Amino acid sequence: MAIKRLFIANRGEIALRIVRAAQALNIETVVAVSAADRDSAAARMADRAVVLGPPAAAKSYLDPRLVVHAAKESGCDGLHPGYGFLSERAILPRLCAQNGIAFVGPEPDAIDALGDKIQARAMARAAGVPLVPGCDGVATAADARREGDRIGYPVLLKAAAGGGGRGMVIAHNGDEAEAGFQRASAEAVAAFGDGTLFMERFVPQARHVEVQLMGDGHGKVLHFGERDCSVQRRYQKLVEEAPCVAMPDHLRAQLQQSATALAASVNYRNAGTAEFLFDVARQEFYFIEVNARIQVEHPVSEMISGFDLVQEQIRIAGGASLSVSQEQIKLSGHAIECRINAEDTSRDFLPSPGRITRWNAPSGEGIRLDSHMSEGAMIPPFYDSMVGKLIAHGKDRAEAVARLSAALEEFVVEGVPTTIGLHRQIVAHPDFIENRIHTRWLEQVLLPTIGA
Amino acid sequence: MAEPELSAQLLVLLQEFSRSGLRELHIRSGDFELYLSHDAANAGAVMTRNPVVGLPAACAPAPVAAPAAVTVTPSAAAPASALPADVIIVRAPNLGTFYRSPKPGAPAYVEVGSMVVEGDELCLIEVMKLFTSVTSRDAGRIHAVLVEDGAMVEADQPLFAIVRM
Repeated sequence: MAIKRLFIANRGEIALRIVRAAQALNIETVVAVSAADRDSAAARMADRAVVLGPPAAAKSYLDPRLVVHAAKESGCDGLHPGYGFLSERAILPRLCAQNGIAFVGPEPDAIDALGDKIQARAMARAAGVPLVPGCDGVATAADARREGDRIGYPVLLKAAAGGGGRGMVIAHNGDEAEAGFQRASAEAVAAFGDGTLFMERFVPQARHVEVQLMGDGHGKVLHFGERDCSVQRRYQKLVEEAPCVAMPDHLRAQLQQSATALAASVNYRNAGTAEFLFDVARQEFYFIEVNARIQVEHPVSEMISGFDLVQEQIRIAGGASLSVSQEQIKLSGHAIECRINAEDTSRDFLPSPGRITRWNAPSGEGIRLDSHMSEGAMIPPFYDSMVGKLIAHGKDRAEAVARLSAALEEFVVEGVPTTIGLHRQIVAHPDFIENRIHTRWLEQVLLPTIGA
Repeated sequence: MAEPELSAQLLVLLQEFSRSGLRELHIRSGDFELYLSHDAANAGAVMTRNPVVGLPAACAPAPVAAPAAVTVTPSAAAPASALPADVIIVRAPNLGTFYRSPKPGAPAYVEVGSMVVEGDELCLIEVMKLFTSVTSRDAGRIHAVLVEDGAMVEADQPLFAIVRM
């Protein structure tokens, strides 16, 4: 049954984004807030805001029982978890189901299965999705050479028993694999009491590519193209774009087909993203994981498809089938998103909460800004430091870069330090303009040159 | 922050309302909204487009203006005359369902006029069948019960007014 009153169990820009999507569908909204967020943009925009608890997330946004209790008592028949917080905790949809509330997301069992790396890899393998070539049980130096030769160098050797950087070796040929085995195995014995190693192909310069998926739980799964999120710092994405123009068309078709096959194999419901590593040198891609939620960077897919993914999420949670077919999804142009954080890049990206004293937002053709901020708004110290997402769309990548660049120049925020300056430097860099980036580019190339 | 100041203002307002003989009072100013009624049945009467708690912009929030109406329960023990200066407001620690008694049908923990000492249980707040009790931090007399039994309360919402003894 279509949702009539939606509970939004999140904060910040995504809470506002969901309120707007619900209002466009004539659905009433109740936003959950902590005591620190009473005055948030989402709270003002919604029909109602309810204060869950104190600012600490563990006592407000991260308490599934509190959240579902509030949803039920405020008369909601649907709940959108946004991203982060409880969005990928299976207990939330389970509590929703027990209380007659439609969860805007996948089935709890799908969340559990996809959240488990081993299960997710097994599901991918079963669906014929390529995984990073590797071998679980390297027991001798001779094994190491044989497996290395089979997988292809360079390879990464690490302790099968433990995590972290302990006993990790990169080998570029058979001799290094044998020597590396001796060293890594000895370290593994010392650290974990077990010298068995795990080996996988090492990709020195990879791109992060992901496919936006949407399933209706009635057997239909569609994709809305792929995104390239290779500008990262400490595995956090800073810039995301769609499509991945570094990928040739035949590979793109395989990528999209792999991702939809994986989702279809579990009759996936609602929005999800299949993440892959793209080995540019070998022209191969390998499955990483599935994120069972709407993602921060969904707007770039919306910009190239002209399709509102959050509205579709809400419709599907209400029991509707997908409102479009794959043939009707026309991807056009190029879109790039910058995540703007209140962080001090000169102090190791120190999160810098505080009050915004000036907020001059850019506008113009192809420009979209998803933000909950305005002049006088407060960034509380309890949560993440994102203040907004600036998205530019153009007929091709060059036009999107030009529009983004102009918008970043126009964007003025005062009161707290932000990453706007860093984004200006990223989009002006020749490597970015010529699209020669990889997941380590920001940390290895750009940041050292600007002393950040 | 302005919160203590605001609470003081609201207490004055409660006092004036009790004294006035008015049956209902409804105030709306910007995002701030307050509804007072002597009729318990009117609790929850206000559900507007934007009943978000709080004064505009930088002001501290006004917890009393929680989405549900604030209902003052008058009683002989709570004289309509001057509200003593030494009033403390007991607030909800988190969102939940407010229960005045330990189980259905049982007498309420406190009534208007009840004397309490520090540590006395005042009510229960339920979240998904998990009940936590709210206790008094002071000794005093219950001056007003500000929420209906069984209503949802939000974090920081005033539950009781106690005159410190």
